Amino acid sequence: MANTSSSMAASSGLPPAEIFKPKPARAAPASTLGIQGWIRQNMFSSIPSAVVTLLGLWIVYAFLDAILTWAVGNAVWEASNRRECLDQVGRSGACWPGVVAWIPNLIYGLYPKDQVWRINLAALVLLVWAVPLWLPRVRSKVQIGLSLVLLFPLLASYLFLGGEKGAIWSALIALGLAAFLWALLTTATEMTTGLSFTRFVVGALGATGRSEEASRRIGFAALLLVYAVALVAVHAMALSLVQTRLWGGLFLTTVISGIGIAFSLPAGIVLALARRSRMPLISLLATAFIELFRSVPLITILFMFNTMLPLFLPVGVEVNQLLRAIVAVCLFAAAYMAEVVRGGLQAIPRGQYEAASAMGLGFWQATGLVIMPQALKIMIPTIVGNFIGLFKDTTLVSIIGLFDLLSMARAVGEDTRWLGLFLEPFFFVTMIYFIACFGMSQYSLNLEQRLSAGERR
Amino acid sequence: MPNLRKTAALLAFAAATIGLSMEASAQATLAQIKARGALNCQVGPSTAGFYSLGADGSWSGMDVDICRGLAAAIFDDPKKVQYQSVTSAVRFTALANGESDVLSRTTTWTAVRDTQLGLEFAGVNFYDGQGFMVPKASNIKSAKELNGATVCVLTGTTTELNLADYFRANNMTFKPVTNENINVLVETYLSGGCDAYTNDKSSLASRRSSLAKPDEHILLPETISKEPLGPVVRHGDANWGDIVRWTLFGMIEAEELGVTSANVAEMAKSANPNIRRLLGVEGNIGEGMGLPKDFMARVLKHVGNYGESYERNVGVKTPVNIPRDGSLNALWTKGGILYPMPFR
Repeated sequence: MANTSSSMAASSGLPPAEIFKPKPARAAPASTLGIQGWIRQNMFSSIPSAVVTLLGLWIVYAFLDAILTWAVGNAVWEASNRRECLDQVGRSGACWPGVVAWIPNLIYGLYPKDQVWRINLAALVLLVWAVPLWLPRVRSKVQIGLSLVLLFPLLASYLFLGGEKGAIWSALIALGLAAFLWALLTTATEMTTGLSFTRFVVGALGATGRSEEASRRIGFAALLLVYAVALVAVHAMALSLVQTRLWGGLFLTTVISGIGIAFSLPAGIVLALARRSRMPLISLLATAFIELFRSVPLITILFMFNTMLPLFLPVGVEVNQLLRAIVAVCLFAAAYMAEVVRGGLQAIPRGQYEAASAMGLGFWQATGLVIMPQALKIMIPTIVGNFIGLFKDTTLVSIIGLFDLLSMARAVGEDTRWLGLFLEPFFFVTMIYFIACFGMSQYSLNLEQRLSAGERR
Repeated sequence: MPNLRKTAALLAFAAATIGLSMEASAQATLAQIKARGALNCQVGPSTAGFYSLGADGSWSGMDVDICRGLAAAIFDDPKKVQYQSVTSAVRFTALANGESDVLSRTTTWTAVRDTQLGLEFAGVNFYDGQGFMVPKASNIKSAKELNGATVCVLTGTTTELNLADYFRANNMTFKPVTNENINVLVETYLSGGCDAYTNDKSSLASRRSSLAKPDEHILLPETISKEPLGPVVRHGDANWGDIVRWTLFGMIEAEELGVTSANVAEMAKSANPNIRRLLGVEGNIGEGMGLPKDFMARVLKHVGNYGESYERNVGVKTPVNIPRDGSLNALWTKGGILYPMPFR
């Protein structure tokens, strides 16, 4: 506009009008600047606001002061039993040596302490496997993520359980290991050359010019080679058997909730689609399953799987107790997740479906590419809420005799050396739960903001 | 939670009933244990002195010693036990459905349990009774003064029922404050959440000794119930019941005869026929049950006699601190009521 008006003025031959020059803005009043100003504006803008601020500060102070005095100020850090703690500070301070002595049990349960490295190794593998998902140059994130969720459990199951492995189990463990190796190799090649692992191999062999079919075969052969290496490695591994009744603590909590979480999302998606299916039998079955599992508390499901199931099995047949608990948790979580996903599906406007079919997409394409990503994005807060709930719900397995984190914390106070020590282990466990759950919720918040970048103005 | 617990209890009862009809097929527990290579022994969530986990992850306690004794009798190895820890509400179901071979966890022998749940009590390893603990400052001297009081009580056990019975019988009212976890209850009691805390006297004594200032709390003189605690097996396998019963009797008998884990090898050379029969040097008591002759010698070697187990786990030198002298749990020869049937 400025250009046209000036050109018009120039073309009409009139002298240019006096150009408006704004005065520089006056500095903001000192009272609104910086931290001081922010405090004045937000916390002491009026008398009620000031009163509320002061009251709030006092509550925070009183609360923190009491907790810190107990947990740090008056706490005892060195003692060989609880009586010594009590003799030193009575009940005014925490008695941490009991918790410290129990930390290995709280984390790993009754897992043989000389075998604990297996759990740590599995955790490390999980971490390394997941790192590429955050590296910007890695493009096969979806494949790596899927391999992680689907195949890591195969590898972890052997690391955790150990013992005799048959041919089929060996093959599956090797599949897990091969997937891990593949993820590492893919990450390496994509970070350095930008080519996926198979493409890189084809390039390295100087076969780029050959036909599509030939290069595909070379890529496939490379994958087979990785699998063969994994198979040999698995064959050479011999870990001692650690029965599941020795699993416990944070480790057990993570295993149960981790499998529950990993299983519930895909199963929930399938169930939600089945429930909305136009095929009456499928829809009916899905609805029946969902409603059945959502209509009873988790504890009754655990109880049914744990104590009723053995009644119907022949004598001598023992289905692993942990397995039963995990199956129960998975089915329960899947039923809840199904309803969350259904909510997301229903929130997608009809136009999206119509647009997808106008593009010529079939049901699966439309669902996978258009509908489901949007539905899941909408439901992220609820999905993560469910995950957090599941993580905490797993404490219920204590009722069927599995020593999860919470039962372990309870056991501390019954250890005759630390008889009655109860607040401290619970405080410790509270911190663990807080960190885990707060971490999950913060990550989901972050994910939500990144995924909805397009909706921000 | 109360609803959940009710559901669980109901299911437990249903399961126990089914267990009754199934027991015919659950014969030969001993054969199953041998085939499995380990005893499945059910304890509870840690309870100091009776079955508690140590920081090293091993189980110990009076009731655990029964499990260890049985494993020693069968396998000559007290470690061949798979411990299961189940809450009070679920314990009978887990026994009835065959998941455990023996339930050894401060379970009171009552008529209903013995006759209607498909269970069989194999003996008594601890005589207990329910009492009350109150703060000394409350100036309460007798349970009769507790009318209208709030009482902290463990749920899912006979403790809760005894409490209701006692107050009803004495025309008094009370408000229960319940929890499944002793530590929570004690904490509630200490923070003034209830006027009195009730539990078996052994437990009261051990909790009191673990408080910051034990002197500020007293145990009221009344004992409002009989709590004979002992191991339980499924109904229907009498031989297995015998094994549990006579392992327990054997440990008490050994104390009476002065056989300990330290002197068991020496005692086998004794001329005393009672000792010779107990240790399997004479006769074949063990073989009648499908055990080796010297099964009690194995038990004593690995676990020790009743008195050793008592002093090690709940005696006055432990933090649990339940005096034995003059209590019901002393031997019958020393004023108590521990009276093992003769080993002959």
